[in-house]
Amino acid sequence: MITAERKPISEIKEMIAPYKKILVVGCGSCVAECASGGEKEVGLLASALRMDSKASGKDVEIKEMTLDRQCVYEFIDQLTDVVDQYDVILSLGCGAGVQAVAEVFPKVHIVPALNTTFIGQTKEAGLWIENCRGCGDCKLGFFAAVCPVTRCAKGLFNGPCGGSKTDRCEVDPDVPCAWQLIVSRLEDMGRLDLLCKVHPPADWSKQQGKGPRKIYREDQRS
Amino acid sequence: MDQKNAGLNISIFFCQQIDPNQDVNRRALERELGNRIRFFPLPCSGRIDSLHLMRALESGADKVYVITCPEGACHYREGNMRARKRVAYTQGLIEEIGLEGERLELIMAPAGLPVNIDELARDLLSSEATTGPSPVRGKTA
Repeated sequence: MITAERKPISEIKEMIAPYKKILVVGCGSCVAECASGGEKEVGLLASALRMDSKASGKDVEIKEMTLDRQCVYEFIDQLTDVVDQYDVILSLGCGAGVQAVAEVFPKVHIVPALNTTFIGQTKEAGLWIENCRGCGDCKLGFFAAVCPVTRCAKGLFNGPCGGSKTDRCEVDPDVPCAWQLIVSRLEDMGRLDLLCKVHPPADWSKQQGKGPRKIYREDQRS
Repeated sequence: MDQKNAGLNISIFFCQQIDPNQDVNRRALERELGNRIRFFPLPCSGRIDSLHLMRALESGADKVYVITCPEGACHYREGNMRARKRVAYTQGLIEEIGLEGERLELIMAPAGLPVNIDELARDLLSSEATTGPSPVRGKTA
């Protein structure tokens, strides 16, 4: 899941200030799960903005809409019939969603209401943690499904570093030591032999240095 | 002055568990104050959501109360604690647009249930003077 957090309302207001008709558009996928951009969050933000404009005596129209996904054309197309009625779209999608909507409607100003943060999991109600860097070269099979690149503060492929105390990371005692988890889990599954493998440095060229990445699959194309 | 048009608009979200006869008890005050007061009974105060509070303010409430069971006495264990967190979150949200956080207030019912929602609401109304009319109300957009 891609996580995000709402921008301060002052920043949002600055972006939409020139406009009179505003459509607040949410996304029912990742950002709904992390309670930042779903239908409810659209309602909260739109309500706050309407109250703010009314209290300021501004004549602004703010409507709400939530797509199932903002990053897929088939869902973005639901905006086609209404987008002409607005001066700006305030998107509560992730950065990918904002750009996907902008690509479909190149003449409409699309502005983000969220700061996209990381790929993570819902750890518990109200708590989301980063657990994937999208490095493009997944090694989880060697590390008992605990990513040392993301969850070890030092990003060690060949750990542990030896600095953990009572299962906690020495860099941040609130975080469990990723390598403690790796060793414990491999021990539980009888696969400590996987630790004998020495991993070369990560090939970061699969993540960065070549511009935006893409996945192309002929079998998925029409 | 017609009492129904005087003073502030009050919305009260409250846990039904605090007053089993709330449906009867609140009628007299509703008739007396008309649209000035709106009651929203909840099966548990933990049902309250920030969106309910925002919609109430947007609809013209000058002050919104959330009345919960006493601390440690929630019928569903911790619904009142959740209500407190949601009120706090929404206070932060309205402060971002320049409204006073005090426009939202969580009240824990006094220990020794049940209470009479009518009496409790009248007590709250008598202390309403600390909050003025909302700037959201009364200005034409």
